[in-house]
Amino acid sequence: MLWLKTVGVAMVIAGCGGGGLMRAGRIDKRVEQIKIARQAMGYLEKEITYLQTPLPLALEHTAALTAPPLKIMFQESARLLLNRQGVSVTEAWAGALARLEQQADLHADDLQILNTAANQLGASGIEQQKQCFLLLQEQLKIQEEKAREKAESERKLWSYGGFILGTTVVLFLL
Amino acid sequence: MGFESQRLIIDAIIPYLSPPVGRIIRTVEPQQLKRLEEIRLRNGQPLFLKIGEQELAVNKQGELVKDLRHAYIVQGEDIYRTILAISDNSLYAFEEEIRRGFITIPGGHRVGLAGQAVMESGQIKTIKDFSSVSLRIARQVKGCSEPLLEHIYRQQRCPASTLFLSAPRCGKTTILRDLTRNIAEGSRWGPPCTVSVIDERSELGGTYRGQVQMDLGCRTDVLDGCPKAQGMMMAIRALGPQVIVTDEIGRREDVEALQECINAGVAVITSLHARDLEEAQRRPLIRELLSMGVFQTLITLSRRQGPGTVEEIVRWD
Repeated sequence: MLWLKTVGVAMVIAGCGGGGLMRAGRIDKRVEQIKIARQAMGYLEKEITYLQTPLPLALEHTAALTAPPLKIMFQESARLLLNRQGVSVTEAWAGALARLEQQADLHADDLQILNTAANQLGASGIEQQKQCFLLLQEQLKIQEEKAREKAESERKLWSYGGFILGTTVVLFLL
Repeated sequence: MGFESQRLIIDAIIPYLSPPVGRIIRTVEPQQLKRLEEIRLRNGQPLFLKIGEQELAVNKQGELVKDLRHAYIVQGEDIYRTILAISDNSLYAFEEEIRRGFITIPGGHRVGLAGQAVMESGQIKTIKDFSSVSLRIARQVKGCSEPLLEHIYRQQRCPASTLFLSAPRCGKTTILRDLTRNIAEGSRWGPPCTVSVIDERSELGGTYRGQVQMDLGCRTDVLDGCPKAQGMMMAIRALGPQVIVTDEIGRREDVEALQECINAGVAVITSLHARDLEEAQRRPLIRELLSMGVFQTLITLSRRQGPGTVEEIVRWD
C-alpha cells in the first residue's frame, strides 16, 4: 500500500505544482503578448502614416510581421475588410478582438485598450492617425509595465504556490 | 453592352455602397440599370438615380417612384458606410482627393463628396461630416469617336489640335477617352501616335493606385492628378508626345501652356464647358485663345439625341 500512497502523493503534488507553473507561464505570456501588440501597432502606424497603405492591406502586412496569437487580430480584421461586405473597421476590429480573446492570455483591460483603436483606425487624416497610434502605444507601454510588475510578484506565488498547495493537501489527507 | 453595363453596376459599384443601398440598386430593373449614370445619396433625402435625362427616386424594393414619400430615405449610416467603402476604410490615404472633393474608385468611377469644409490659411484642408455622395458611373464606349476621326486627321495623317465644346454630361470625356485610344493605336485615318494624357481629375484614365483603368491605347502616358498647365509642360519635356489630350481647360495658365505645346509642334486635343461657340467666346480668355488660331477643329456636342450628339464641326483649314 505504501507504493500506492507514494504515487498518490506524487500525483497530487505534481498536479497542483503543474497547475501553478502553467498559471505562472500564462502571466509571463500576457506580458509578452502586450509587448507584441505594442510592436505590431508600431508596424501598423508606419504602414498608415508613412506608406499610406490602405487599411485592409496595412493590417495584412502587419499580420505577416506579427507572432501568434496577436497575428490573428490583424489577419481577421484584414479578412473581414477585404471581403467587401459593407463591414466597417469598428465591426471588423471587434470581430477580430473576439477571436483574439479566445486564444490570447490578455486580460479584459488589455483588450479594452486595443478596442480603443476601433473607432479611430483609418477614420481620419495622417496627423490624427499618428496621434491615435502614439496614444495607443503609450497606453500599451504602461499596461506592459503594469503587467510586468504584476508578473514579478505573482510568478513566484504561482510557481511555488502550486507545490505548496499540493503538499498542504497531501498533509491534510494524511 | 446591356449585360456588360448591368454587370458593371453589380461588380464595380454595388460593393462601394452601404449594404441597404446596395441591396436596393441590385433590385432595380436591368433595363434601367444599364442606363444608370449617377447614384445620389443625400443625408435624410430620397435616394436618387440619374437614368438618361431623368433623375428618379427609388423605393426599398428597387422600384423607381415619382412620389417622393415612397422613396427610400438615405440615412447618415448609408453615407458613412459608403464613404468608408470608397476610401477602403482609409481616409488618411485619400486626403488630397477629399480636399479636391472627389475620390476615384477602381473602374474610373468618380465619387463626388459634400460635407463641412475645414479651412486652414484660407485653403480647404479637408471635408468632414459628409452629407452627400454622388457616384458617377464611368463607361467606356469604344468606337464612339470613330465618326469624328476624319475631321481630326488632316492630309499629313496627323491629328489636328481640336477643341470639344459641350455642356456637362454630354459625353465629352467619353469621346476624348475613345479618341485617345484611337490616336494611340492608329486607325485608317492615320498611324499610331505617342499620346500624353494630362488627367487632372482622374476622369479620362480613371487611374486607381497607379493603374490606368480605362483603355487609352498602348502608346499613351497618363499624368494622373497633375494640374493641366504643369502637366503639359512636363509631358513636352519628359515624354515626347505627338499629341496631348486634356479635359476642361479654362485657366490662364492652361491657355499659356497650350500655346507652348502648339509652338513645340505638339497637337492638343482638349475640351471646354460651353454650350456652343458663341457661349465660349463670351469668355475673354477663350476668345483670346480662339483668335490665336491654336485649334484647327472645333466640335460641339450635346445630349439632343443622347450623350455625344455632334451638333457642329468647325474646321479652320
